[in-house]
Amino acid sequence: MNKRLIASAFIIVAPAIATPASAGDAVYGKFPVTLKSWMGNETNSVAYTGQIARQVLHDSLKKLAGKGNGKPNAALQAEMMLYFEGKGKNRKILAPTSKGPFVIKQKTVGEISNPNLAGKTYKGTVSGMPNNMTGPELIKFWIGKAASANKGVDMANGYNYPQLISKFILGAVFYHQAVDNYLDEKMTAGNKPNNKPYKKGKHYTGKEHSWDEAFGYFGFPAHGLMLSPSQLYDIAKRKPTAVSIADANSDGKIDLYNEMVFGPAYYAAGSDKSKKTAYAKTIGKAFLDGRKLIASADGNALNSSQLGQIAQYARVIEENWEKTLAEATFKYAGSCFKDLQAIKANPSDAKVLAKYVKHWGELKGFSLAMQTGRKNLGDTATRLNRLIGFGPVMPNSSQVIDIDSGGNYVKDQASGINEYMGHMLKVQKLIVDKYGIKARKNDQLAGMSDMLKKLGSGSAAEND
Amino acid sequence: MPILDWINGEYIPHLLDGFLNPQKRVSLLYLSIAAALAIIWSVYVSRGSVRKGFLIARDKLFSQRVWFSHSARGDYKLLLANHALLLLIAPLLLSKLTATTALFFFFIDIFPSGAAVLSSTSPLLVAITYTIFLFLLDDFSRFATHFALHRVPALWAFHKIHHSAETLSPLTVYRTHPLEAVIFSFRAIVVQSSAISIFVFLFGSSVDLVSIYGVNAILFLFNVTGSNLRHSHIPIGYGRLAEHFLISPAQHQIHHSLDPNHYDRNFGAALAIWDWIAGSLCKSRTDMVLKFGLTDRENLQSQKLLHFYFSPFRELFDRGRNDPFYRNRNHRNLTKNAV
Repeated sequence: MNKRLIASAFIIVAPAIATPASAGDAVYGKFPVTLKSWMGNETNSVAYTGQIARQVLHDSLKKLAGKGNGKPNAALQAEMMLYFEGKGKNRKILAPTSKGPFVIKQKTVGEISNPNLAGKTYKGTVSGMPNNMTGPELIKFWIGKAASANKGVDMANGYNYPQLISKFILGAVFYHQAVDNYLDEKMTAGNKPNNKPYKKGKHYTGKEHSWDEAFGYFGFPAHGLMLSPSQLYDIAKRKPTAVSIADANSDGKIDLYNEMVFGPAYYAAGSDKSKKTAYAKTIGKAFLDGRKLIASADGNALNSSQLGQIAQYARVIEENWEKTLAEATFKYAGSCFKDLQAIKANPSDAKVLAKYVKHWGELKGFSLAMQTGRKNLGDTATRLNRLIGFGPVMPNSSQVIDIDSGGNYVKDQASGINEYMGHMLKVQKLIVDKYGIKARKNDQLAGMSDMLKKLGSGSAAEND
Repeated sequence: MPILDWINGEYIPHLLDGFLNPQKRVSLLYLSIAAALAIIWSVYVSRGSVRKGFLIARDKLFSQRVWFSHSARGDYKLLLANHALLLLIAPLLLSKLTATTALFFFFIDIFPSGAAVLSSTSPLLVAITYTIFLFLLDDFSRFATHFALHRVPALWAFHKIHHSAETLSPLTVYRTHPLEAVIFSFRAIVVQSSAISIFVFLFGSSVDLVSIYGVNAILFLFNVTGSNLRHSHIPIGYGRLAEHFLISPAQHQIHHSLDPNHYDRNFGAALAIWDWIAGSLCKSRTDMVLKFGLTDRENLQSQKLLHFYFSPFRELFDRGRNDPFYRNRNHRNLTKNAV
């Protein structure tokens, strides 16, 4: 009898005992200090504060980009530049901020770290916009325009600067740095070795910190693998119901460093909500598994087998991250198509036009973001850029085709809304053909599949 | 065993689906309605005598002579074997979605400013237009395909398998050579892909089908008004005027008739207007006595499955050897006086 009781109790209690252990395994939290030359007291080698500070700078810059009143505003422009390329520990966190019960722990960027965005922005030329601007040049150009636009939106030319700036940075800083830098050359044998500190005086190794930095750019909470896509999404939205989910250490505050969901992870979770994809989980798990592998080297240089495994994790991250950007591009091409339909039905509706301009900014930003990765997208990039254009086709069929030497937009008559709607569908098809994405929100071609289903398979063998 | 799994998991469910799904012509719903119509017709031609009417219906529709004839057994063999064969080759055929998408983007490329040009049209009007357009296109394509199957000697070699039926039952609809099934499948792809891509191109979004039980409403009406009786010995006619517009069961039985006057008549599926326009329309008469099958010269000697499958190829081979340039195109007696 006693044995039975003990056995029953064990069966009931065992999962409860096991849960914290397995939960701990799923957290990108504490990894031991393995650097053999380190003599300090640190017990945790994980650090990605600079990357989270950049996530905060991005969110704050986006907020500032929507503050203009339609007149040139040098002070606003300077403030935006402070968040883009300046430094300063006292820069206030403008977003994400506390919202009701969703209380954010930090008030200033400096409480996390003190980096800038410009230094880490994609330095290649952005062929999807005129004048061969580099990434930082394009963002500065947009910041200048945003400062003098009403709430950051230029309705005459069809530019929503907060969206353009934000979505481009999601690629040009976060995706670019992660996949084209930390997960690429810094994961090679001769670069940032695991038997040396990342920098002189640091308690973590080259490989440990490089991997952590890439993780920080994904904007995923340390306990993110224990959360569903909806929960991740709700945290990013700062919903009251998400407080207990986000607050992993139960201190009543959300620590932006390791409890918050930022842009890249938010968009991954957004696709995953469809249940057709698992980008956030796949990427998060590859990061965690990669970090475990590096820790298992115990401060020794990674051998070729370990480097091979790390490269595999890196490719999983890259491939899935690229797909999240492709999914977003696909989604907003569909949004623009629907907006244009609404505009055709009601050309004088200013709200519909504003929605179109917003969605186009997101489409353009994400399509440019896709082009800042490790791979040269080649023909795909050319086609994307041609289909989307330098600006949206407006209801009067005008479209920006260039920027003159004074920074003014040059417009011309495009062939019309109908043709541009066709371009949006071609963007969707191109993305599906090239990336095989699955979530496919706002799929404007899905209707054809549904129509075919309605007709049924019939029977080919029926004779008349 | 994989083959048993396949039979249980795919073959049998698909086979049963043919009799349960209202999208299929021989679904039990339509068969039941056809049987009821046959009984009503039989009572009617018996001048109201219910008993006599039932006897006629039993003799013409439910008798062993119809369902267990040599010919009917051939129908069943083809139904069962074709079903397996088509399930296996289906993945090799062009996907309808691929064709639809390709056509849609073809339209966008050649008429770039025409995309969604009618997107402001009322959804109800679009649905009605689409339903009618699809029905007309589908019916015309059936007529045209059927016409070709009779008039092109190489195709007739295959289609004559269907015409070799000497007794007709609703399941004769499946008395088809597999190569014909591939042709029918291609026809369906062309029709559905064209209709859908044109409508999505013009109206900018998916279009609703006016449907009943998930079936095109017009096709549903065609099926519930006795389409299954076209392959039966119940010669229901619609009257001389209506038979200019709709193919009655009796008109399709004329199509199967051995009478040389009836050769290559009534190719239509639901509508008779195509035959009317093409000059191949033949209206039914109440005093018709029809025999079905092929002439002695063409008759298939066997109801064996292998014979059904391979005899057309042998015929083509023989013909290719004797008449490689198809100089004699009168493969069948096309004129009334030819035999």
